[in-house]
Formats: sequence, structure tokens, C-alpha cells
Amino acid sequence: MEKTRREFVKLVGGAALGAGVILAGKGRASAQTIPAKGAPSEPIRIGVMPGLTGVIGVPGTAAWRTTQIWADEVNASGGILGRKVELHMEEETTAKECVERFKKLTLEKKVDVIVGLMSTGNGLAVGPLAEELGQLWLAWDGTTQKGVEETMPKTKFAFKSIDNEAEAIGGAILTAKYFPKIKTIAGINNDYSYGRDCWESFQAVLKHFHPNVKAVEALWPKLGETDFTSHIAALKKAKPDLIMTSFWSGDVPILMKQAAAVGLFKTTKGCFTTGGGVHYTLKKEFTPEGLILGYNSMYFKWTDTWPLLTKFVKTYFDKYKEYPVYECDHAYFVLQAYKTAVEKCYSILGKWPTKEEVGKALSGIQVPSLSGYRGYREDNIMTCNFFMGITTHKNPYDFVTIDPVEVLTPSQIIKPTAETKLYEWIKGWKS
Amino acid sequence: METIVSIIFSGVFNASTLFLVAAGLQVVFGVQKVFNLACGSFYALGAYFGIVVVKSFVAGGFPKPLFIVPLIGAGLLLGFIGPIVERGLIKFVYDRDETFQLLLTFALVMMIEDVIKFIWGTSPQTTGGIDLIYGRINLFGATLPVYNLIVILCSLIIAALIGYILLNTKFGRIIRATADKKEMGEALGINMKMVYIKVFTLGTVLGTLGGALVIPATAVVSEMGVELIVLAFAVVVIGGLGSMKGAFIGALIVGVLKSVAISTYPELEMLTIYIIVIAVLVIKPQGLFGGSKV
Amino acid sequence: MKPWQEILSLKSTKVLILIVVGLLFLGLPLFASQYVSYLMLTFFAYAVMVLGLNLLFGYTGLLSFGHAFFMAIGAYTAAFLTGKFSILYMEVILVVAVIISSILAALIGAICVRYIKIYFAMLTLAFGMLFYTFLLKFYYLTGGDEGMRVLRPYLLGFNLSEIPKMQYLTRSYYIYTLVILAILTFVMWKIVSSPFGLCLKAIRDNPEKAEYLGVSVKRYRWYAFIISGAYAAIGGALLAPAIGQVDPGLTYWTHSGTLVFMTLLGGFENFFGPLIGGVVYIFLQDKVMSLTTYWRFIFGAILAFLVIVAPGGIAGVISSLVKKEKGGE
Repeated sequence: MEKTRREFVKLVGGAALGAGVILAGKGRASAQTIPAKGAPSEPIRIGVMPGLTGVIGVPGTAAWRTTQIWADEVNASGGILGRKVELHMEEETTAKECVERFKKLTLEKKVDVIVGLMSTGNGLAVGPLAEELGQLWLAWDGTTQKGVEETMPKTKFAFKSIDNEAEAIGGAILTAKYFPKIKTIAGINNDYSYGRDCWESFQAVLKHFHPNVKAVEALWPKLGETDFTSHIAALKKAKPDLIMTSFWSGDVPILMKQAAAVGLFKTTKGCFTTGGGVHYTLKKEFTPEGLILGYNSMYFKWTDTWPLLTKFVKTYFDKYKEYPVYECDHAYFVLQAYKTAVEKCYSILGKWPTKEEVGKALSGIQVPSLSGYRGYREDNIMTCNFFMGITTHKNPYDFVTIDPVEVLTPSQIIKPTAETKLYEWIKGWKS
Repeated sequence: METIVSIIFSGVFNASTLFLVAAGLQVVFGVQKVFNLACGSFYALGAYFGIVVVKSFVAGGFPKPLFIVPLIGAGLLLGFIGPIVERGLIKFVYDRDETFQLLLTFALVMMIEDVIKFIWGTSPQTTGGIDLIYGRINLFGATLPVYNLIVILCSLIIAALIGYILLNTKFGRIIRATADKKEMGEALGINMKMVYIKVFTLGTVLGTLGGALVIPATAVVSEMGVELIVLAFAVVVIGGLGSMKGAFIGALIVGVLKSVAISTYPELEMLTIYIIVIAVLVIKPQGLFGGSKV
Repeated sequence: MKPWQEILSLKSTKVLILIVVGLLFLGLPLFASQYVSYLMLTFFAYAVMVLGLNLLFGYTGLLSFGHAFFMAIGAYTAAFLTGKFSILYMEVILVVAVIISSILAALIGAICVRYIKIYFAMLTLAFGMLFYTFLLKFYYLTGGDEGMRVLRPYLLGFNLSEIPKMQYLTRSYYIYTLVILAILTFVMWKIVSSPFGLCLKAIRDNPEKAEYLGVSVKRYRWYAFIISGAYAAIGGALLAPAIGQVDPGLTYWTHSGTLVFMTLLGGFENFFGPLIGGVVYIFLQDKVMSLTTYWRFIFGAILAFLVIVAPGGIAGVISSLVKKEKGGE
């Protein structure tokens, strides 16, 4: 698939989009952009809410960088329908402050759309607010789930992230496939809803395939724990065949290093469902081959035939000397989806769309993102492929990559509708 | 046996870094009566700087197994922050209520957090697998990483050194005298300004050294400083404010207890520590060794 | 002369100023933006909390580093009553918050007031963190890290669910909260200027002397602790519907630090100092957070500056300026 970005845009937006593209071209030639007919002349205001400190600071920084890269690119190519985009950043901190910042962006900064948020607690606080204020909110990683139940199955303005437990389900499917002989498992997950949901659903799926698998230990370090030597001692004591963890931040390299120090994964298999969030920190020196490692929605060296990814990885690396992670893809996708939805609306309506209209266009949309085509379902929940695989040292980097790369599709790991009961859905699978 | 050894060992390893940070807190509290919340921030600074030093040491082509030398150097070198913070901020509040001193160090925590973010960003970093060079040993069937043993050893040596300084040197006698009564030092014609600078620097170095020493065995993450404050707080409350012996025993109690709780009743991990802290504060607010000299 | 004595001596002017400020607050939603009104609303809630905190800190000389505990009690009361028990009457929520927090404050206070200074601060901090871990651990009850929704409460028995959210918050709920703040400010004013309040000040300045004069130091500290806790809980209960969601972050020790920060910023030696601090803090944070990602550094620097240079806070600076001017005349 040798296609340029421009061609993608054309493909998606259809013929009517041409107008915008041509205008954008002109704009570049004259070093200033001319908005499409009927579009306001002032820039599009995009509110961005990345976490920048503590645990969420790790993926949050990646997403914020990506948002800036995207904005630069879009502005360089003439903006959206000739309108430049303008970023208004407010940090994601506590739920109370997120509510405040969200109101500020909506009421004071009058932004057209808000992207961001990673914590479910904050998503639960902001989700209803988006609906009440009529403000488009495109989450990166924040859901409005209470446990594994969706609290807002029908929304107009809130566009939610993929179900929290998707990666654990994927991890369990691969565990069943690659390590069919395991009998005992142990979990080390953070002591909060994401950690608990991942551990529960991982067990449910694994037991579906191998009913005799037994959980022998479940450890619950608090989110932000920075030392796991004691946990590793407890894991050694439990002697499981496989250890599962849903860690996704700085705790992954810590756990991996401290496990390596006592040779934990020499005898035990491992499944790191979301460890790809910090894959560049998993140095070969302390990360063994043969572990299951999940990269969530994006694997930076998935393919050479998707120019969007190749180009982005290069831009990102040149700028930050790091290889991008999945949060980059979420951040890129939500912006690209917004852009496409606006352009779609404009091509149909012939005028600049309202937030509600953009919301309607976003439902069920499919757009090319860094990780391939991905989209929103009709119930405004993200869907995308998940990349997982077995760690290997055969690469030119100083950290591990995966081989083979398993691409898990939404129908495999995400329950089909918001109302579906997760565990009943899993029970209904063919073995 | 194997299990008990590895559980105790990991608890003691935790305790060894906790002790260094708590000791830094204690020595400053003992002399200056300032409860330094920023001890965790110094620890984080030591860790980040340790990575920089070890990386350039390896890049410079020096023999890898010697990395511990520049690491300790990094911890000591960072001591220069001590006089800056003491002269620049802390010295202004010696005469104030303790609560103001607490607030000032709280301000320091906020500032250092952003300084670290500004210099090093938010991505977790490691020294690679450099600690694995030393290998592992088997003790009663338990596998113990040698580097962690080295950290414990370093911590013990430092503890002994502090003990020696406090008991057998002139500086130590001054510290103990002034811990009892500030006016004592002045009355004896001692330059208290220099004593305060030295003591605060000592407190700082203990923190930065702790961070530098631990870092090969873990990864730096931006929340590590704030996370440690809570634990160091528990240590000094249990051990008794201002007491070195208290820091030592308190660190052991917190470290080993956490380790035992995790392997026996993991759900209660963090809760145990708070309950013990409150129990100690209620039953014996001076802590186990409170009231005894530094 | 102490600032509070000054206030008494200038009673009529002060009362006039207060009435004007009150009316200004009341009329604010008419000309200010919805967002500014919303920030003011959160300020009213925080104002109640810092009024309570300062009874302990400024008047009794006890620094609580765990006061967010009581505000979280109030906030979770609102969440439990509206969400789990479908009790939507704000008045009921406030009363229940006061009852629960008073009971807890009486129990915790009985332990805490035996100590002063750093030990008191640490003990309150430990209780706050214990509650934090409790909220996380007993997630099937409290929602854990996800917290709980707070439904829109009825005000004075009126069901206002038809009004758009922001209008409800910046009009009806705004006035409701402001009135409660005014009442509680008045009550606190009465408390601190009563013989009880004078006793607290005597305890702060010289506990031995107070004890000698027959004041039961611990008992008075205990009373102050309970009142202070109840105030914080009312503030928390008022804040919860404004946010719409409560989460354990409300009781984390740094949030307690924020309350102390506000008090210090405004000036703990002045009755109205903490209120000034609250409003300045909220609007300052709003501006600085949008300006830079390094807002923590700036706030740290401000706090350090306050502690070193202006421990009397804004009110302290103003009153010393006023004094200077008078001295010049």
C-alpha cells in the first residue's frame, strides 16, 4: 500500500474534500491559509488535556508530543478546510481539577473540541460534563467504565477510549495459544480498577480455554509503587507457571529489572499485557526473550508498508530520541477522526458544522491512523487492532521487540456493544 | 527457608535505602528541628544524577564493574545542593514555628519535582542491566542479587560511619550538644552557622546517596521522590523523631513488615504501615527511640 | 495591636465593607462569565473549609496536615446520599455531613489533641492517608480510584433538575452556597470573639499559663478540632455537587497541603485572611496552570516566599501597609 498521506485524506473525505485540499495548497503557496467558503476565518481551537506528571506523565507526554506534531503538520498543509488549528493545553491532574479545566476550555477558551485524559476516574467525571455542556470530548485512554460496565452507553459528545480490559483479554488469548501447558498463574496488578478488571478478565478468558488453570497469587501494589523486590519475593514463593501484569508506566522497567536480578523469568513465563507503553525502556540486558508483551494499539515497527507510521516514527525519533508508544496513536487518531468528521460534514452540509453535527459524523467513522485504519463504533467507543507478541532480542535496538507480531482485532478482544455483559460474552465464545 | 530468606532479604534491601533517606531526615531534625519533607526529592535527584554519571562512565569506556565508584561519587557530589538550600531558604526560618519549616520544605518538594521534569522529562530511565554484572548468589536456596547485597553493605557502612562520627568526633559532640539545646553551642563559642550548613549537607548527601545507590537496581520515575516521603515519614515516626537508632530500626521494621505483608496478606500492603504509624503515635508518640539522643 | 482587635475597633466600616463584598459576590453571576462564577462557587466551598482549618491553625496554634480528610468525609457523604440512598435534599446532606464528621472528629481529635506542633501535624496526616487507602481498598463500597457520582441535589426542597447544569451551578447553587458561607462566616466570627475563642487564643499563645488559669487546654483543643472538622465537612459537601464526582484524590495529603497553602497565602493571623487566600489561590492556580506546565515550581516558589518573607500572608501585608499609612499621618 504505497500511498501518501494526501491520498489517504482524499480517499476518506471523498471528492467534495478536494475543495479543501486545493485551498490548502494555495494557502501554502501564498504562505497564508484561506478558509473554505462558509468557514469562519479564525483558527480551530483544540483543547488538549495530557497528564504530565507522575504515572500518567509517561504516556501523557507522548500523547502531547504527538498532538503538537500533528498540529504542525496540519497547519503546514493548510489546516482543516483552510482553518489553522490552535492548541490549548491544560494538564490532566485530579478529577476535581479536570472538571474545572474542562469547564475552562469550554466556557472561557471556547474550544471546538477537547482531546485527552487517560485516567478512568477523570473520564467518569468529565464524561457527563461533556454531555451537559455539549462539548465534544475525544478521550485518549479515559473510559467511562465502572469496573467492566459502561456507565454511559449512549452519548452524543463524549467519545470514549477502548474498554479497559481489552489488552488483558488479548493477553489471555495469546497465553492460551503460546503457553497451553501452564497450570498455575499469578497476577501483579495495580491496586485500582484498571488493574483489578485486567486481572479478572485475564483469568476469565484463560479459564475459558483451559478450565484447570489456577491462580495461586494476586499482588496489589498501589499505583505509583517504585519498588517490587518484596513482590518478587512473594511471586517466587508462589512458584506460578506464568506471571501476568497489566503495568503500563515506569513500573514496567522496575519490575522487569528487579525480576531479572533474581532470575524470576528464567523458570516462569510472563505476560505483560500493556508493557509496550514503555517498550523503549525494556532493555535487552534485563528483559528476557519469550515473554508476551502487549503494545496496545500501536507497534512502532509493525510494518514498512504504512507510510503514515514510518514517517511518524522517524519524525518522533528525530525530535525526541525515543520510539513512539500506543498513546501516540490514540492522540493521532482522535485528531485525525475529528478532522475527517469536520471535512465530511462540510462536504455534505456546505457549511461549517456544529459540535453536534461533528459528533454525528464521528459515530462509526473509520480513518487511517498511525496503526492503520481504526475508528469509533456507533456507541462512540474506540475500536482498533491490538499488537502483541513474543519478546525477542533479534533487532538493532538496545531494547526488546516482538516476533511474531500478533494483530488482535476488535471483534476478538472488545465486547461488541457497551451493554454487553463482559463475562457472559466470554462464556459464549467458541473454545 | 528459601522463601523466608528471600522475603527478609528484600525487606532489608528496602530498609537500607529507606534508612539512608530517613537518616538524612533525622540528622537535620535532630539539630535544626526542621522536618525536611524534601528528603524524598533529594533521593530522586540522586537517582537521576546517578543514571547520568553511570551512563557517561560506561560510554567513556571505563571498566563496567567499577561503576559503583562514580555512582557513590555522584551521590556525594550532589551534596552541594545542601549549602545552597540551607543558605538560600532554610536559614531564614530557624526561629519560626516548626509548622512553617514544614511548609517551606513542602514548597521545596513542589519546586524540585518540576526541576527534575524540566531536566530529565517524564520517561522512565535505567542504567540498563549494569547491576547484573555482579551476578547472584545462593543462600539457603534463595537467589539473591549481589548488587542488592552491596547496597545493603554500603548502607550499613554509612550507618556505622554516622555512628562513629556522632560518638567519637568533635563534630559529633557538637551535634549531640546542640540537639539538646541550641543555645549550648552558641554559649560554647561554636560557629553555629557552619554547623547548620554541615548538618544540612550531611542530611542532603544521605538522601542523594540513597537515590544514587538504589538506581542500578530499579528505574527512575518522576513520582519516586513523593512516594518515598510517605515511607520515610513512617520510618521516623515509628523509630522516633531525631533518633538515628530510630531511623535504623524504623527502616528495618517498615521494610521487613511491608515485605512480609505482601507475601502473606497482599491486600493489606499499604494499610499495615499506616495502622502501625497511628498505633505508634497513639501509644508512644515519641516513637520507639524518641527522646534518646541523636 | 492584633488584627482582630483592629477589626473590632473599626466595626462599622468593616461591616459596611463586608456587606458590599457580599452583594458583589451575590451579583457576580450577572456580569461575570459562567466560568468565573463557577470558580467563585468552588471558592465558597473552600472558604468554609479554610475557615474551619484556621480555627485550629490561626486561633489554636495547631497545624492540621490532614484536613482534607474531613472535606472528603463531607464530599463522600454527598455522593453516598445522592447516589446510593437517593436522598437529594441538600439540607439533609449537610446535616448528615456535620453529624458524621463531628463523630469522627471527636474520636480522632481525642487522640490528636494530646499532641502539638509537628506531632499533631503528622498524626492528622497519617489519619488522612489512612482514609485515602481505605477509599482505595474498599472499592466495592467507595468506587475505589474511580470515585462516585454526585447527583444534583434539591435546594430547599426544590427539584431543579430541569435547569441546564451550568445555570444551576452558577445561579441557584451559587446563591445557596454563598448564603451558607455567609451564615458560617458569621457563626465562626461569633465563635472566635466569644470567651471560648479567647480561650483558644490564650492556649495558642501560652498553653501553660492558660492551664494555670483554669482553662482545660486539651478539652478546648478538642472542641476546636470538632468544630474545625465539621466546617471542613460542610465545605466538602458543598464542593461535591459542583464537581459532580468525588475521588480519593480529595483526601491525599497534598490536598491538605493546598488548604494550608490557602490559609497561609491569605494570612492566618487575620479572621478573613484564609478567605482572601482561598480566592487568590483559586484564581492564581487557574491562570498559572494555563500559562505553564511548570506551575508546581511557581507555586512552590510562592509558598517559599510567603513562609520566608510574608508569613502574615496577604492580610498581613495589607494590615502592615495600613498601619504604616496611619503612622505617617
